[in-house]
Amino acid sequence: MAIDFSTAPAGPVAPCAPGPGDPAEPAGPVPAAIGVPAELGELDRIARFTLDLGRRAGLPPAELYRLRLAADELATNIVMHGYRGTPGCILVDGGIEPGRVWIRFTDDAPAFDPRQGLRAPELDVPLADRKVGGLGVFLALTAVDTFDYALVAGRNVCTLAIARHDNG
Amino acid sequence: MSFDATLNLTGEVATIELKGELDASTAPRFHDLIEDAAGAGALRLDIHVSRLSYLSSAGLRSLVFARQKMGDEVRISVVGATEPVSRTIRLAGFDHSIDLIDA
Repeated sequence: MAIDFSTAPAGPVAPCAPGPGDPAEPAGPVPAAIGVPAELGELDRIARFTLDLGRRAGLPPAELYRLRLAADELATNIVMHGYRGTPGCILVDGGIEPGRVWIRFTDDAPAFDPRQGLRAPELDVPLADRKVGGLGVFLALTAVDTFDYALVAGRNVCTLAIARHDNG
Repeated sequence: MSFDATLNLTGEVATIELKGELDASTAPRFHDLIEDAAGAGALRLDIHVSRLSYLSSAGLRSLVFARQKMGDEVRISVVGATEPVSRTIRLAGFDHSIDLIDA
């Protein structure tokens, strides 16, 4: 479910947290959803949320790394290319299902499907001359098993998932 | 999450050691050391990463920055990368112009 950030007070002290109607806080140390200011210095919280979720799902180290990489790249993309330095929030929620672990980002930046920014590495171009834009999205989409984007009530909603195998 | 980067200059060889997690928020510190190494006129740059546990695209952009700052004639090596770190470097095709060396 998308969050109505517009009801939050404006300014740097605006709480960037899930509100009424958001996924309920579960019993246990890992919340089902977090709200994070759209700033690079805050992305650690998304990494911790992602790693906690992946560990609870029993992902092996390689899959856990992929999940974290994809979440980090997409969140960075939202900060850098979505909000572009303007204040905003990123809502992150996630879940564990028998066949997959998923992370979902909801933001109020201008409508943008990250896949539009995808650019495969220019392997035949000297490194110093490479256009490095799009590398993060490339890594994210390469890392995950599924990726979905939707514009829901004017909000960007990106969902990425890693398949679970042999986790009982 | 932590990150630490140190630069050691010995003659014409610059050695940068990276520890922890290299992402968009920590990459600027790596950039600073690359500029220092380039400014010192190093002819070789060895980047030791055996204790680097995470590398995002921001770290890849740092390697492009290193290649641009150091110049084409300078050999740049990434030494001791863990499997996921070296996989990311290879996936981006950076191993064509930066040497990946086992520790």
